[in-house]
Amino acid sequence: MKRTLIILALVAMAAPGRASGQSFLGFRGLGVPVGVADGRSVALGNLGIGLRQVGLSASDPAAAAHILLPSVFVSMQPMWGDFQLEEQSGTTRTTRFPLIAIGYPVLAVNGTVTLSLAGFLEQRWVGHTTRMVNLGGIEVPVDDRFTTDGGTSVARLGWAQRLGARFSVGAAVGTYVGRLDREFGRTLDSLVVGSDVRSYEEASSWHYGGYTFSAGFGADPHELIHLSGALEWSGNLKESPGEDTGGAENRYDIPMRLLWGATGRLSERLHLNTSFAYQDWSGAGGFQAGVVSGKTLSYGAGLEWQMVRRTTRGFPVRLGYRRVVPPFRYLAADPVETAWSLGFGVNLVEVDGVRYGWMDVAIERAERSSSPLSENFWRATVSLGITRF
Amino acid sequence: MNNRPAYALAARGLPAIIAVAAGTGCGEVLPTASSNDLIQGGVAVEVTLPFTDFGTRARVYGGFGRASELPGGFIAHDFGTGPDGRDVGEQGLEAATLLRFGRYPGFVSVTDTAGTNRPDSSLTFLSGRILARFDTLSSVLTGPVEVIAHAITEPWDGISATWEFAVDTVGLRVSWSLPGGGVVEEIGSSIWDPEEGDTLAITVDSARIASWADTADLSRGVRLTTRVAGVRLQLRSALLWLKTLPSINPDTTIQVLADTEATTFIYDPIPRPPENSLRVGGAPAWRTVLDIDPPRVLHGPPELCEALGCPVEINPEQISYAGLRFTTFAESPAFAPSDTLTIDMRTVLVPDILPKSPLGPPTTGFAGVVLAPEWFSPPAGHVVEVPVTGLVRDLLRGETSDGDPVSNSVALLSRFEPLSIEYASFSDVRSVGAPRLRLILNFSSGSGGGG
Repeated sequence: MKRTLIILALVAMAAPGRASGQSFLGFRGLGVPVGVADGRSVALGNLGIGLRQVGLSASDPAAAAHILLPSVFVSMQPMWGDFQLEEQSGTTRTTRFPLIAIGYPVLAVNGTVTLSLAGFLEQRWVGHTTRMVNLGGIEVPVDDRFTTDGGTSVARLGWAQRLGARFSVGAAVGTYVGRLDREFGRTLDSLVVGSDVRSYEEASSWHYGGYTFSAGFGADPHELIHLSGALEWSGNLKESPGEDTGGAENRYDIPMRLLWGATGRLSERLHLNTSFAYQDWSGAGGFQAGVVSGKTLSYGAGLEWQMVRRTTRGFPVRLGYRRVVPPFRYLAADPVETAWSLGFGVNLVEVDGVRYGWMDVAIERAERSSSPLSENFWRATVSLGITRF
Repeated sequence: MNNRPAYALAARGLPAIIAVAAGTGCGEVLPTASSNDLIQGGVAVEVTLPFTDFGTRARVYGGFGRASELPGGFIAHDFGTGPDGRDVGEQGLEAATLLRFGRYPGFVSVTDTAGTNRPDSSLTFLSGRILARFDTLSSVLTGPVEVIAHAITEPWDGISATWEFAVDTVGLRVSWSLPGGGVVEEIGSSIWDPEEGDTLAITVDSARIASWADTADLSRGVRLTTRVAGVRLQLRSALLWLKTLPSINPDTTIQVLADTEATTFIYDPIPRPPENSLRVGGAPAWRTVLDIDPPRVLHGPPELCEALGCPVEINPEQISYAGLRFTTFAESPAFAPSDTLTIDMRTVLVPDILPKSPLGPPTTGFAGVVLAPEWFSPPAGHVVEVPVTGLVRDLLRGETSDGDPVSNSVALLSRFEPLSIEYASFSDVRSVGAPRLRLILNFSSGSGGGG
C-alpha cells in the first residue's frame, strides 16, 4: 500500500505544470491559470480558501494546521472542451494531475509541515495557418504550425501552526518550476517547390523559475463561522532558454494576490461558503502592451449539504458557482471565466470534522471568453486523500 | 473510529482513480485553430549564390569503367559532324559492336518418331542467324539502315578492345592491323527498319558456324557496322541462333542458342578532356568533381535583410532545400544524349586520392536526376538542379548527422558507370552559366504568439 502511494505521488510529480487548463487564452502572456484543483473546492465554487474543515490546500497556508495524522492527497482532472474563435470552432480534451499535497503534523509543537506541487499557469495550444510566400519570384503556399506545450507549477514548503482550538496561521515558501516547449513547423507545398524541399522545424524549450511566499490565517470566531485569509507575494517569474535554445531570459512580474474566504453553517448539515481573490495584473511588467487584464476580482460561492452523515462516515453533496478573471487577454477584451459546479464527497473515515480518508468528485460546466475567443468545457475533478500512511 | 485503518478504506478508491485516469488520459487533443493572431509565421527566402560564393574548384576526370561493361553496344558511321563538333571534327563518330559467341550446345532434347523426348548429342549445325535487337528510342537514324556483319580475323580481347587496339590491358597492348577491328571478312548484311520492329537478322553460313565452334580461337567474333552516314544505333543485345539437324529425327531442324561470350563496342575518336565545360557520363565515364564550401553568413537578399537584418548567420536546420544548379552545354553532337540520362551526386570521401577516391552515398535519392536529351541540343542553356540539401546541412554542421566527418568535395556522375556512350556537358565555373547554389531558407523569428 505504501509503495502504491509513493508510485502515485511520483506519477503526479512527474508532470508539474501540466494541468487541465489548455486554452488559447493568454497566448501572448503566460497562458491560462490552472486554478483551484481539489475536488471539494471545485465543487463548491471556492477559490481555495475559507473552507471549514481541516484539510490540505496549496493556496491556504493555514488550512493544514489542524491535521493530526500524516496525509497526502492528489487530484486528477479530465477535461472535454470546445472553443469558438471567430468563424472557427474546435474541441479539446486532456487529463492531468494538477495537484499533489502532503501534510505531516508535528504534534509536539501543534504544527504541520506541508509540501505541495500545484499547477499555476498553462500554455497548451496549436496554431496553424496557410499563407503564400514568395520564393525566387514564385508564390509558394506554405503551411505553418506552431505548438506550445507546457506551463508553470509552484512547489511549496510550508508550516501551519495551530494557535488554540479556534485560530491558526501558516506560511509557505515556494518556487516556480516547469517548462515550456515550443515548436514551429513549416511545410512548403511540394507541388510547387518539389518533393526534395524539406519541412522546416524549429524547437525551443524554456524553463521557469522564481520564488513565491504566502502567509495566511484561519479562524473560527464562532462555532457557526469560519474565516480565512492569505496573501501571496512573488518575485519575478523567470523564463530561461533551454540548453539548445537561443535568446535571453525573460522576467515577468507576478502581482501580489489577496485571498479571503468564509464558511457559515446555515444548519446542522448545510454550509455556505464564499471566497474572493484580488490580484491586479494591470501594472505587471514583462508583458507586451495590452496583454494583461484590467479586471482584478474573482469570487465564488457554494453550498455543502451533508446528505448522509454517520458516526465515522459522511456523504456531502456540493453545489457551487465561481467567476474568476484570468490574467491574460486573448486580444483586447478582458477575459472572464465562469463555472457552475456540482459534486460530492465520500468521507470514508471522518471523526469530529476531521477527514482521514476521502474522495471528492466535482464536475464543472465552465465558460471562458475574451472576444473573439469563447471556450466552454466540462471538467471533472477527482481528489483522493489518504491519512496515516 | 473504524477498526480498519483509514488508508485501507481510502485505498479502495485508488483503482477507481487510476482506471479513470487511464480511460480518459489516452486521447489528448490540444486546441488547434487557424489564426494569424496565434501564429505570425516565419521568414522564408530563396537565395541563389554564384559559384564564387560557395565553390572553390572544379575538375573533370575520365576513364571510369569500360565500354564492355555496357550490356549492348553502338554502331555509328560519320555521326555528329557539324559546327559544334569539337571532338569529332569532319569525320564524325565511327562505332562498331564486337561480338564473340561461345560454345555451342552439346545436346538437345528431340522428339523421336515414336513421340518420345530423348537427348541427342550428335548434332549437325547447318547455319546460324545473328539476331540483333536495337533501342529504337536511343538510336539516331532517319530511316532504314543497313547493318553489316563482318567476321573478325585477328585475336582480340572482349573486355579491353578499343578502336586502335585489339588488346589493351595492363602490360599488353596489341594493335589491330587496321583500326576499327583489323582485317575482316563480310558475313552478310540486313536492313533494320525501326518502323517494322527492333530486331534484325543476319544469316551466317555453315562454314563460318563450323569455324566458330573452335572456342580456343581468340580471333573468332563478329563486327557489326553500318555504311549509312549520320546514324548512331544503340544495340541492346545480340544473339546467335544455330540451325541444327538432330540425328534422332533427321526430318526436323531445331534452333538452339549459342552462348554470347563477349559484347563490346569500339569507337573513334575518343573524346578529349573538356576545356570549357563540365562533363558527366560516357563510356568510359567522365565525372565532374566540385569543391564547395557554403557560406555561414548571408548578406542578402534584400527581403532577408529587411526581415531579420543582415548579416544573417545560418544554421543547418534553417536550410529546407539546397540545390546545385548546372547549365547544360552543347558540346559534341556525336556524343550528345539521344535519350534520357540519369545523373547523381555523391561526396568524395578521400579527395586526396582522386580520381580513385571512394564515393559516399547518392545525395539525390533512389531516382537520381533525369536529364532530357533536348536540353543538350544547341543552344542548350537549360538549368539542371541537383538536390544537395543533406550535404549542405552537413557542411554547415561540420559533420554528418551521424557525427562522421564530411567531405566538401562532391562528384557529379552518371547513375551507373558507364551508362552510355553519350555524355552530358555543363557550363564550366568560369562561364556565364557557371554552377550556382540555390538555397531555400526558413527562419522562425516572429512565429508564434507566446510570451
